[in-house]
Amino acid sequence: MEGLLKLWNDTGLANFEVGQVVMMAVGALLLYLAIVRGYEPLLLLPIGFGCVLANIPMAGFTDEGGMLWYVYHVGIETGVFPLLIFMGVGAMTDFGALIANPKMLFLGASAQFGIFATLFGAIALNLVPGFEFSLADASAIAIIGGADGPTAIFLASKLAPELLGAIAVAAYSYMALVPIIQPPIMKALTSVKEREIVMEQLRPVSKKEKVFFPLAVLFATVLFLPAATPLVGMFCLGNLMRECGVVDRLSSTAQNELINIVTIFLGLAVGSKLSAEKFLTIETIGILLLGAVAFSIGTASGVMMAKVMGRFSKTPINPLVGAAGVSAVPMAARVANKVGLEANPHNFLLMHAMGPNVAGVLGSAVAAGILLAIVGG
Amino acid sequence: MDVFEALSTAANIMLLGMVCVFAFLGLLVIVINTIAKYCPEEAKAAPAKQNNVNDQVSPDVVAAISAAVHKYRKSRD
Repeated sequence: MEGLLKLWNDTGLANFEVGQVVMMAVGALLLYLAIVRGYEPLLLLPIGFGCVLANIPMAGFTDEGGMLWYVYHVGIETGVFPLLIFMGVGAMTDFGALIANPKMLFLGASAQFGIFATLFGAIALNLVPGFEFSLADASAIAIIGGADGPTAIFLASKLAPELLGAIAVAAYSYMALVPIIQPPIMKALTSVKEREIVMEQLRPVSKKEKVFFPLAVLFATVLFLPAATPLVGMFCLGNLMRECGVVDRLSSTAQNELINIVTIFLGLAVGSKLSAEKFLTIETIGILLLGAVAFSIGTASGVMMAKVMGRFSKTPINPLVGAAGVSAVPMAARVANKVGLEANPHNFLLMHAMGPNVAGVLGSAVAAGILLAIVGG
Repeated sequence: MDVFEALSTAANIMLLGMVCVFAFLGLLVIVINTIAKYCPEEAKAAPAKQNNVNDQVSPDVVAAISAAVHKYRKSRD
């Protein structure tokens, strides 16, 4: 009898707490979104599963010495995983569309307004009782508006590790929701006539320019914004490997095997941060809310900037491409293309939207560097 | 820290951040344009290929196709 009792005390059933059950339901929801709805499955699946693992009673995955504990400390606390992912993203990114039309960088820059406006919003939320975001917390939350998962995780791990789980989940969920969040904002801010604007074909870009580009970006970062060099540096390394043409093996590893391996562990480690006592708080609701606001403001300011630029530019600019300024590569560019096609079935904006799209990646990395330099330093 | 003090700090960061992002990416625009100036476009080798396609098609086939097209157009009138 005593043995039976002891066995019972070791089962999950006897040890479940309400919070853990709720968090397992959250994990199941993430798995559902990934598998059935196809929302960012590459990340939401390991995050959802990590969330389930982290909330198993008695298993000790996230206790000191547990597997997820090690994965988190090795990969995320040090910032290594998001940086490796960023290198892979660099190796996957073709900057041709941006080099051909460099003023698209301004669209990528203006979409970052979502980040800084949300920073203000997060601090303003402190006026509501129950919320207590420090400046570092607010910065980490605001970077969700950059629509860039690795950047968000990197900054959160540096500035607000206790909010990392909620921030990462919000960032990736909203990135998956880009096709739902963006179009209404884009349509509200533009007329049909503006959406029909056909842009000039991009000039071909030589290989030399593509090789010099990552080096020049790195050089400028080293000179003016060293705080952004971890992100920008790894990104440029990946891109140089892609474009130089002499290390195809490394480039292919960075954009396939390496990024896949790291993604598995990154997802698990982020999921392990989804424990009941950290996730089931009023702050999480605030973060989810602010994330949506950040995204919307970023989209809106990108579109508005494109409208202003279109007025002064010699070549026509379709304001829809401005919405792609919130990184989320390549989803945001596809959305701009789709909304453009709805207005004019012969107008393919994809290549034009890729310019602001990759500019957005650079922009959010730069914004993260600025936040690190101001708030973290 | 007082909330209103924090708000003014946040507003400052917002202003400073946007100015920095624009300044930095604006600098990159200049850099890219400079690179483009000193990197001449690669010579294109594409047009030579199109001639080959014409050469491979024998005159008989061309004649047959044009006869067929001619006949088809006539039949539609």
